[in-house]
Amino acid sequence: MNLTFSPEERAFRAEVREFITTRLPDDIRRKMQNGDHLEKDDYYRWQRILFERGWIAPNWPKQYGGTGWDPIRRHIFSEELSYGWAPRLLPFGLSMVAPVIINFGNDEQRARFLPRILSAEDFWCQGYSEPGSGSDLASLSTKAERKGDVYVINGTKTWITAAQWADWIFVLARTSPVEKKRQEGISFILVDMRSPGVTVREITTIDGGHEINEVHLENVEVPIANRVGEEGGGWTYAKFLLEHERTGTAGIAACRQMLTLLTELREREDIEDRRFDERIAEVDIELTALAFTELRVLAAESAGTRPGPESSILKLKGTEIQQALTELALDAGGPYADVALARHYFNLRKATIYAGSNEIQKNIIAKQILKV
Amino acid sequence: MDFTLTPEQVLLRDSVARFASNHPANGTRPDYWKTFAELGWLAIGAPEDAGGFGGPTETLLLMEQCGRGLVASPYVSQVVFAGAILREAGRADLLEALTEGKRRFAVAYEEPHARYDPARVGAVADETGGGWTLHGTKIRVLDPSTADTFIVSARTRDGVALFLVPASSSGIGRTPYPGEDGYDVANLQFDGVRLDRDALLVRAGDGLEALEAGIDAASAALCAEALGLCSVMLETTVEYLKMRQQFGVPLSSFQALQHRMAEMYIELELMRSMAYFAAKTLEDESDPFARKRGISAAKAQIAKSGRFIGQQAIQLHGAIGMSEEYKIGHYFKRMTFVERLFGDRDYHVRRYVELTYSAAREAVVV
Repeated sequence: MNLTFSPEERAFRAEVREFITTRLPDDIRRKMQNGDHLEKDDYYRWQRILFERGWIAPNWPKQYGGTGWDPIRRHIFSEELSYGWAPRLLPFGLSMVAPVIINFGNDEQRARFLPRILSAEDFWCQGYSEPGSGSDLASLSTKAERKGDVYVINGTKTWITAAQWADWIFVLARTSPVEKKRQEGISFILVDMRSPGVTVREITTIDGGHEINEVHLENVEVPIANRVGEEGGGWTYAKFLLEHERTGTAGIAACRQMLTLLTELREREDIEDRRFDERIAEVDIELTALAFTELRVLAAESAGTRPGPESSILKLKGTEIQQALTELALDAGGPYADVALARHYFNLRKATIYAGSNEIQKNIIAKQILKV
Repeated sequence: MDFTLTPEQVLLRDSVARFASNHPANGTRPDYWKTFAELGWLAIGAPEDAGGFGGPTETLLLMEQCGRGLVASPYVSQVVFAGAILREAGRADLLEALTEGKRRFAVAYEEPHARYDPARVGAVADETGGGWTLHGTKIRVLDPSTADTFIVSARTRDGVALFLVPASSSGIGRTPYPGEDGYDVANLQFDGVRLDRDALLVRAGDGLEALEAGIDAASAALCAEALGLCSVMLETTVEYLKMRQQFGVPLSSFQALQHRMAEMYIELELMRSMAYFAAKTLEDESDPFARKRGISAAKAQIAKSGRFIGQQAIQLHGAIGMSEEYKIGHYFKRMTFVERLFGDRDYHVRRYVELTYSAAREAVVV
């Protein structure tokens, strides 16, 4: 058992840190430090810089333009992005649809979509939830009817982050009516956001921000060639994607950054309060426990195990800690708590809802790990 | 980053597991010392020149299995705790006797109203006639009845020192009582106990650091024991709820209970991480400051998660969980003892806070 980073891994960390320090544009770093909303152009500029360095796709195989890093290096890279105040890489193209296309798509789709995801020419968004289908995703009712060599898609997708910026959306739609199992008859289809019949409606969240949207699909014609994998096999690909999504949502390095800000806030507001210090310490300690849990998952992945139901713990506990930190920051502000602290607190209520609500994660743990 | 065990470590874990599975999980505690010595387990953590092998990882593997089998032996107090202090004192001769099972040491450091704080030492050792005279009261001394020697913290003119006190010395009053789970515990009263000059184990000024090194090593071992205890409590609860039928269905089919078990599982995994983190902290940290902070983090988390898992294990079992005949209550009681030994959750969170902000202040100065 060796629970330390190797000299090569430490050198890699130094290299990444140096790159982010010198190449991340100052205006973007300032926005991140202030907790301001980023614009599409901010993400675009930063992703281009990483693309040119060859570091844009840490979790893709090398042959498609990925870095070929092992899980530990990917982890170090993602930590350093947080520590250096760099924006996260928008996951919808890079870490959601791309792995599905790589694993289940055909050569033509890989050649057509992957390079434009890498270069940030195409932004993507995720068309999963519907007004009537949230946690119970398999109840979705968006339909894709086959007419000649196109699908005609009708339905509404909602809570879609970054749809206002997206060039493409990946959609789960019913290609055949429910017969036995509701999970059957669903297909995974790639839709050009510029297609006639696609409209985007902005949804304002409780923090006053605009991150999410509703997307209406009305008689949208999509070539059959845009379906990934088998017709009716979409549920398998959707689940594959969700497991990848969950490992990324613990946000441990980001929590450490929030903890640093909180300590600064404590100094600035001159809080000499034992109870408050102990509340911070308890979250800090739990974060240490979760960070070590993440290392255990990474070590298992390095040994060749795919992210399994254990990733549910990272999502569940990670998002709880994120929320606890925003709550502490709000309380640290006291009567002077500014709007930014409150907005962050309001905004982060989303974390225990997205990517499969934490209650759904508990169902997953009960069924898949405890086998009840 | 590699969590795989060496073949020797796997062997150790499996042999402890075999031993522990033969031990009745009903709260009984035979003295296994001869067996432990023969199997070489008393030598874990001692330096090689004292016949020792392994370190915190081996201790973790042993203690986790002891926890699983509810083997509540004097291992933590007499091997891990006393052994770490003897190591700090550089006493290879005593360590060798310890690893062979010939000598047994119990540490007497806690005092009335000290609330787990080892620095609050009221006991006094006066230098008299070429030796020492010891006065004072020590509470909750673990495993005193099988020890031949007490390691006692006492204040001298120059600070806190540690002394070797033969258990047979005249002037020692004992008030034995069972711990919450039946543990061998006593309060000790030292009334002018006469000691030779060479009874001084760790000299004044270094006594507290040596004691805290021992407390941290013992705390890490308890984290591993707690992991074993809680693993069994969760497994037993899940099995019971799958089997127990009410309303014509297994209890495990109710979502309220499924979610509670999922929460227990999450806490257990955090415990597992912190037990390993504690072992790693002992292995890595030559800096006592970082060591203390890491161990306090681990012990605080273990205490929180362990209390939750124990309480829920009883609750989910229902009335059978309250029965002394059933095994879950014995695990629960042992966990309740373990989580508060060497400092409870509140104590360690406070210690963590103090270490955190004194570190921040030092960083500013640098």
